[in-house]
Amino acid sequence: MNKTFIPARAIIREIIRENDQISTFRLELIDKTKPFSFLPGQFLMVSVPHCGEAAISISSSPDALPLIDLSIRRAGELTTAIHSMEKGARLGLRGPFGKAFPVEKFSGRDLLFVAGGIGLAPLKSVIDHCLFQSGLDDDAVSGIRLLYGSRSPSDIAFTGTIGLWREQGIDVRLTVDEKDEHWTDHVGLVTELLEDITLDSNSISLICGPPVMIRSVIAKLTEMGCDDTNIFTTLERHMKCGMGLCGHCHLDGRLVCLDGPVFSVSELNTMDVMELSR
Amino acid sequence: MIDLKELILPKDNLIPLLRKLSKDARLVAPVKNDHGDTLFTAISDLDTTEIDLANQPQASLKPFFLPQQETLAHYQISGDTYQFTAPKAAEDTIFFGVRSCDLTALLYMDLIFSKPAKDTSYYDRRSHSLIITLGCNQPFANCFCEATNSGPYLEYGYGLQFIDLGDRYYVSAGRGKGADLLKKWGYFFCEVQEEDQRIRYQLFLEARGQFNRNIQLAHACHKLQKEEVPEEIWEQLAERCYDCGGCAYVCPTCTCFSVDDKPQSRDSGIRVRSWDACTSGGFTRMAGGHNPVDRSRHALKRRFLHKLKYDFASHGKASCTGCGRCVDICFGGVDITRFIDLLTRQENP
Repeated sequence: MNKTFIPARAIIREIIRENDQISTFRLELIDKTKPFSFLPGQFLMVSVPHCGEAAISISSSPDALPLIDLSIRRAGELTTAIHSMEKGARLGLRGPFGKAFPVEKFSGRDLLFVAGGIGLAPLKSVIDHCLFQSGLDDDAVSGIRLLYGSRSPSDIAFTGTIGLWREQGIDVRLTVDEKDEHWTDHVGLVTELLEDITLDSNSISLICGPPVMIRSVIAKLTEMGCDDTNIFTTLERHMKCGMGLCGHCHLDGRLVCLDGPVFSVSELNTMDVMELSR
Repeated sequence: MIDLKELILPKDNLIPLLRKLSKDARLVAPVKNDHGDTLFTAISDLDTTEIDLANQPQASLKPFFLPQQETLAHYQISGDTYQFTAPKAAEDTIFFGVRSCDLTALLYMDLIFSKPAKDTSYYDRRSHSLIITLGCNQPFANCFCEATNSGPYLEYGYGLQFIDLGDRYYVSAGRGKGADLLKKWGYFFCEVQEEDQRIRYQLFLEARGQFNRNIQLAHACHKLQKEEVPEEIWEQLAERCYDCGGCAYVCPTCTCFSVDDKPQSRDSGIRVRSWDACTSGGFTRMAGGHNPVDRSRHALKRRFLHKLKYDFASHGKASCTGCGRCVDICFGGVDITRFIDLLTRQENP
């Protein structure tokens, strides 16, 4: 796709309500003459009429192209405007940008996904891609487990997707910070779910969620003997261009938009990442 | 490499030459305005406008290549359409009287705006430009280009470099457009004599000896590759930073920007790129309010480390060109030279 500030046009084909705050917008590019592809973990700069742009990670698998899912939490002006849009409305897209998860190295590996809230969005792209690949024996991963934390049972997003994943044999474990009268599952931090998990040298962990969660999950995994090179997470930064020019996402000599947003913990250990060191 | 050419331009021929040049391109040179400020200005009439080569332009060339505000695209919204169109192309421009530091800064910007892909608007303007520099025989009060290796004279990068020899200019041509220009307007120039070369070298040596300030920039860069900066230094600097963004705005190598869409009517608008400064609190704040930088302690950390640590590591050269403008403008007294002094002083108490 282009590397200018002029976006390609896209149309909203479907809107899936994930919870009160999060919806998935299923998009399709209008101009099909230019090739478009991406890898799980990459993001797009999304233009909304009169609101400008925001960096949003892709939550669907590349295998679902030409459809592209963006799962968006209502957080500011632009995301609120997207939430007020309807099927058939137009958006602009630039990208894809950023370094993806190293999915090419996942065949035969045991994947552990740990997510909090909207953090499941970029990981969902990886999970769906791995499930698609599992149809092709050579590239199949050996197993997928997901630990997913939400604030309360009504905050759990992607419930439809999680149901499908369970049907396909993914071991999904949920936890909430605060339960309601119907909740019979785990209550507490997502790190507590790690207590029942066994990991070995074949395991790869992928984490995404609020910084405080990422920090404690990394600490716990390290304590469990997980190698730094086998833990991946994504960093979130304010971005204005996505292509290494605007300077907003500069982080200790790196640019999150080019060198990230996906980083291995071994890379992060050489950087001064404030939200993870506090 | 051999197309480098050197000639002498008698000062009486300067305006006639510029007049010829300005027939084919816009001419931009330092002009003192009614307020007494010397600024790079587009000159439409050389007879009524006086070029000011005695004072340092208060702003660098940056605004001409990365304007403080520029339209990157126009957009239209109506019913089913949401369409962006590119703005019109840049015009040919000749910049005259550019100081070595400011051209060095432009060469740095070339690097920034070419990775990973060329920035369309920047390179459109850049490819339509020709830079004529004027070597500095007398550094200005806060200059330290000797420490940053970006002056007082330059070795490369210019279209033409002028050195003032009193009643004439010693003119060196760079490759491409500069050499073509000498060829085209050869009758304004005369041959270089041995005496001219001797005087030029003498002036160069004298200029180097006239810097007021001894800034340990190279030492600071090397030190930053090896050690962490003591937290007290960051805190001391943050305490006196007023978040005005002045340093970043006058800095010829501060290229951070913001991009925003501005509605012009109900169904149209413009996508605008405008200068931004990493020293300001909103620079890293995300939707929802989370900010991964603690401004109260680290207001200036990004800016100084970017220029002296990271750029030195990735390009082998700090991205400070010693122009001294941030020293002029910072009323908190926490410009880059203060940081370098604090950092390097520690070793030699």
